[in-house]
Amino acid sequence: MTVRRQVRIKYYAVLRERAGRHEETLETTAVDARELYEELRTRHAFHLPQSQLKVAINAEFADWSQNLNEGDEVVFIPPVAGG
Amino acid sequence: MSSFEFRNAQFDIAHERRELEDAAAGGYASFEGWVRAQNEGHIVNRLEYEAFEQLGAKEGERIVQEAIARFGVRHARCIHRLGDLAIGELAVWVGASSEHRDEAFAACRFIIDEVKHRVPIWKKEHYANGDSGWVNCERCSDHGATDTSPEAHRHDHGANAGHRAHTAVAYDYSRQTTLSGIGARGQARLAASRVLVIGAGGLGCPVLAYLAGAGVGTIGIVDADRVEASNLHRQPLYTFADVGRNKAEAAAERVTAMNPWIVVEAHAERFTGENASQLLADYDLVVECSDNFATKFLVNDAAVLAGKPAVLASVYQYEGQLQVVRPDRSGSCLRCLWPEALRDGMVGNCVESGVLGPVPGVFGSLQAVETLKLLLDLPGQLESEILIVDLGNLVQQRLKAPRCNDCEGRPCSRITELPAAAVADTAIEVTLERAQARGFQIVDIREPAECIATPTLIECIRIPMADLLMNPAVLPRSAGVVLMCARGRRSLATALELRHAGNANVWSLRDGVAGLEQV
Repeated sequence: MTVRRQVRIKYYAVLRERAGRHEETLETTAVDARELYEELRTRHAFHLPQSQLKVAINAEFADWSQNLNEGDEVVFIPPVAGG
Repeated sequence: MSSFEFRNAQFDIAHERRELEDAAAGGYASFEGWVRAQNEGHIVNRLEYEAFEQLGAKEGERIVQEAIARFGVRHARCIHRLGDLAIGELAVWVGASSEHRDEAFAACRFIIDEVKHRVPIWKKEHYANGDSGWVNCERCSDHGATDTSPEAHRHDHGANAGHRAHTAVAYDYSRQTTLSGIGARGQARLAASRVLVIGAGGLGCPVLAYLAGAGVGTIGIVDADRVEASNLHRQPLYTFADVGRNKAEAAAERVTAMNPWIVVEAHAERFTGENASQLLADYDLVVECSDNFATKFLVNDAAVLAGKPAVLASVYQYEGQLQVVRPDRSGSCLRCLWPEALRDGMVGNCVESGVLGPVPGVFGSLQAVETLKLLLDLPGQLESEILIVDLGNLVQQRLKAPRCNDCEGRPCSRITELPAAAVADTAIEVTLERAQARGFQIVDIREPAECIATPTLIECIRIPMADLLMNPAVLPRSAGVVLMCARGRRSLATALELRHAGNANVWSLRDGVAGLEQV
C-alpha cells in the first residue's frame, strides 16, 4: 500500500515565481526529497534541474535522499546571485 | 558644588580631581586643553577668553549631567578658564571617574566636544604681528565641518597615503560607543580594522556607508563597472551626475566625504583569480557584494584559502540570502552548500529579473551588521547557517548549513587553487557570423515579452528557456543549434545544461541580442 504524507513546502526566488505562491501544503506519495521535487516539477513546470537546487527539511539542509515524514517542512532553495 | 565652572585664574588640577574620588570608581580619565602658539598659520602670543557666563554655566552643567547619565560614570566635572591666558596655560579641564575606564574616556570626549559646540565662549587671539581677532569657538567648529575645499575632502586612490579633513570638529562615534559591547575599546578595534568590499552596487552601497559611519579604519572597494542610470534606484551612494564614472572611484569619493577620518582605497579593477590573493592579503575581512556567481565563488574560495572571514549576500527581486563564511573558525562555506560553482544565467540576476531598490539595501545593511559584529566580537553572529528573508511576505528563515565532509581539512579540499581570470568559453560560444557560416539554426530563448520589447531581424525560431529545459526534445534536429538571449548569459547556461544532458550540437550566441545591435 502506498503511504501518503502531508508535507508543507516553501518556495523561494524563481520557484516561488513559477509556482505562483510562497508555500503550500500537500499530500504526496514521494518517499524522499528527490521524488517530491520531481512531482512538483511536473505540477508547476519548474525549469531548474534538481542539481541546481538545495533542499532543507525542518530548517536544516538535507540530502536529496532523506526520507520524508508526516508534517515535514520542506524548503527548495534556488541559488540567487543579484547584488 | 556645580559640575561646570568658569574660572578667572589658574587652578590646581590635583585639587579639582579630589571631587571625583569615589571608592566605587576603578579609574579616572581627564582631558586638558592648552593654549597653543599658532592658529591657522598665525603665530599667537596670548589669548583672552570671554563667555556669556550665566547662560554658559547652565549649558555646561547640562552637558556634564548628560554625560553622567549617558555613560554611567560616577562623577564628572569641567572647568573652563576665562580672561588672559599665556601660551601653554591650561584653558579647559575635564575629568571623569567611573567603575571602568571605557566610560570615563567616553564621558571626557563627549563633554569637551559638546562644550565646544554648545557653550557660548569667544576667544580673542593676540598675534605676533600685533594684530588681534575674536574667534567664536562654535563658529570655528562650523567652519571646519562645512569646509568643502578639495584639501579637506581629498580621498586616496593609492594603497598607503592616509588623509584627514582639517576640521575643528571630530567625527562623533558617541551614539555607538554608548552601546554595551563597543565602548572606546571597540571603537579602537574598528579603527584598526581593514575591510575589503567586492562590488559597489546595490549591496555594496549600504555596506560602504555603514562601515564608514562606524569608523572602520581602512576600507577597500573593488569594482570595474561604471555607474549606469539603471543603477540609481538601488545604489544611493551615486548621484545622476556620477553616471558613466567608475564605481570604485565614485564610491570612494562619496564615502570619504561621509567620513574623512578613515582611509578609503579604490581598486578600479575586476576581482579575478589573478589578483584575488594579493587584494585579500591587505585586508582582515571581505564583504562579497557582487552580482554574479563567478565572483561569489571566487571570493569564497580566496577567503577560505587565506583563512579570512567573508560576509556574502545575494538578492533576487523581493528576497535574498545571507551567509557568513568563517574559515578561521571551521565554519561552513559556500561550497559546503554548492560543491560545484554555479553557472550564471540559470537563475536571473537584477538585470534580467528586476529587483526592488530597498531589497539589496536591506541585505547590504545586514552584511554591515554581521561585519561589525564579527570585527567587534559581539555575540549572536550568523555562523554555519543561511538566513533567507522574503521581503515580499516578510518571512525569514534560518537554515542550518553544516560544514560538509569534504571540508574537514582546512582549507577545503575542493579549493586547491584559484582559477585564472574567467575567459569566454569559445568551445560553446559562437558569433553570429560563424553560426550563419556553419548553417546553424538560431533559437531565441527569451520570454515572449522580451521578444516584443526588443525585436530582432535575425531569422530564428522561438522556444522560451523554461520550455526548452523542461523538454529538450523540442529542439530542431538540425546540424547545430545556437541559443540566443538578451546578453548571452542565459543562453550560455542553457547550452551548458543541455550539453550536460547529452545534446552535443548546442551552442550559445555570444553577447546575445545586445551584441547584434552594436554591429
